[in-house]
Amino acid sequence: MSMPPTQGAYTCPFCRLASEGGGATCPHCGAAVDVRLKVSDSGWIEQPAIRDMARIRFGHSTCQISGAYVPVAEMDLHETDWVYFSHHQLLHNDPRIRLDNLPLKGGWKRMRAGMPLIMMRAQGPGHIAFSADEPGETLAVPLAPGRAIDVVEHRFLVATGNIGYGWDNSNVWFTTQDDNNEEWHYPLGRTIDRFAATGGNGLLLLHAPGNTFIRDLQPRQRILVQPGGLVWKDQTVRMFLHFEYPRGAYWFSSPRWQAKTTWLTLEGPGRIAIQSVYERPEMAGQVRRTSGATTQYW
Amino acid sequence: MDRIECQWCKAQNETGRTSCTTCGAPLDTRNLVSDSGWAEAPRLRDMTEFRFSNSTCQIEGEIVPVAELALAQGDSVFFEHHVMLWKEPQVPMSALNTPGGMKRMIGGMPHILSVAHGPGRVALSRDAAGEVVVLPLHPSMELDVREHAFLAGTHSLNYSFVRIKGLANVLHGGGGMYMDRFVTSNQPGLLLLHGYGNVFQKTLQPGETIMVEPGGFLYKDSSVTMQVAKQNVKTGLMGGHNMYLAEMTGPGRVGIQSMYVHHGSE
Repeated sequence: MSMPPTQGAYTCPFCRLASEGGGATCPHCGAAVDVRLKVSDSGWIEQPAIRDMARIRFGHSTCQISGAYVPVAEMDLHETDWVYFSHHQLLHNDPRIRLDNLPLKGGWKRMRAGMPLIMMRAQGPGHIAFSADEPGETLAVPLAPGRAIDVVEHRFLVATGNIGYGWDNSNVWFTTQDDNNEEWHYPLGRTIDRFAATGGNGLLLLHAPGNTFIRDLQPRQRILVQPGGLVWKDQTVRMFLHFEYPRGAYWFSSPRWQAKTTWLTLEGPGRIAIQSVYERPEMAGQVRRTSGATTQYW
Repeated sequence: MDRIECQWCKAQNETGRTSCTTCGAPLDTRNLVSDSGWAEAPRLRDMTEFRFSNSTCQIEGEIVPVAELALAQGDSVFFEHHVMLWKEPQVPMSALNTPGGMKRMIGGMPHILSVAHGPGRVALSRDAAGEVVVLPLHPSMELDVREHAFLAGTHSLNYSFVRIKGLANVLHGGGGMYMDRFVTSNQPGLLLLHGYGNVFQKTLQPGETIMVEPGGFLYKDSSVTMQVAKQNVKTGLMGGHNMYLAEMTGPGRVGIQSMYVHHGSE
């Protein structure tokens, strides 16, 4: 992954952008610069909560993060700047903000995939604020031109207008057979969001329930995560399913039927972010077909 | 040599330590106890590490904390399989054979508990804001825990489940049909729970009673008895309603959580 060309004295470990480093928080992502990194023994870095009332600059505008349980991202939009968001993330806006609909392609597919059908656009000048619906962290991901990341469905909060938005099939699925019915499962969601900075530097805000941890995987390094725990990843990170069947004999179920764990294998190189809250995996039946998976019988 | 006693688990620690090696509780802060005697479970500091057997556990995060376990060869932990957040690929997994499968199915309890074996790392977390409560168990201790509240138990603990006695307790107790029971056989063990919201503990004297919202019950020593007590609520509308509370009687510890589902009144 190529690093952005920004010059400066301090490179933020969370957004990987350089700045002068004079303030208490990174001007690009709001992460505190004057605290020690919290790294677990195994190498996960805990994403620090953005300090209450910290400001992030983008374009000619600012974003202020307030609150600690379910943070609010309040933007002071310049008249030349605009942002887009799912309509249910809007908390408040002043009447000067001009709201309209951002045209999206593939409405039918989005509806089938359970994705929001309406993406709203807000044009400055004025104040507008966004929040999600679960306690957790607001993640500010500044994107330099040419950089793109993959974001799991429903983690997106708001993005600046110069970030291109697309979505694609996640291509992570498996089927199970019940009598004559074949059931399809999408542990990561049917689709995945793709955000790429097109014009200049852009700002992407995500919301992750619980705590968030990031990790840089080395080339070919693998880690198993709960599919519902992934928040975002660099596009260089490969992913595929992994089924684990524990050893041992027990009542009622054969290991093939019920006791498996469905993992998402993430393989470097690149950065991944996970959240500590995730949906319970389905106790699905016997796997028939997959999008590509490995299997381990212990 | 001077030692520091942990106010939460009573383990002895070397001087100079800021957190307990057995349960991770801060040693340099005072116990927070309400006027009525409820002690707040220690808020484990981010990245706190403590030991069990030859392994370590590190607590990460403060909204929905993650327990990251570095398992040594020969050590293992058991848990409900859906609480695994991530693991190293080489960590072997097996299933704990739990007795009474049909009863467990009827009671809505997991049929299978997963076991992760060392060496290697595995990380566990639950699904809502709260805190990890670390309860070291010594031989002869017996602890009853609300269904679906335990995060992990170490290999030296014996796991079973007990039926909540009395139909009224089952129907109105808010805790389901069964409670998980953890005992130690010969050597000490460690039990990790996840309490929703904040967790508080009170030690009841013999015969002492406290009424608890059933949804708030988290754990108790098995010596504490639990009965459902009906409260008549007069509203002047439709002849009044009943609500149910759990009557806990000592001796022993009772743990409650501040975020719960209220099971309503009728």
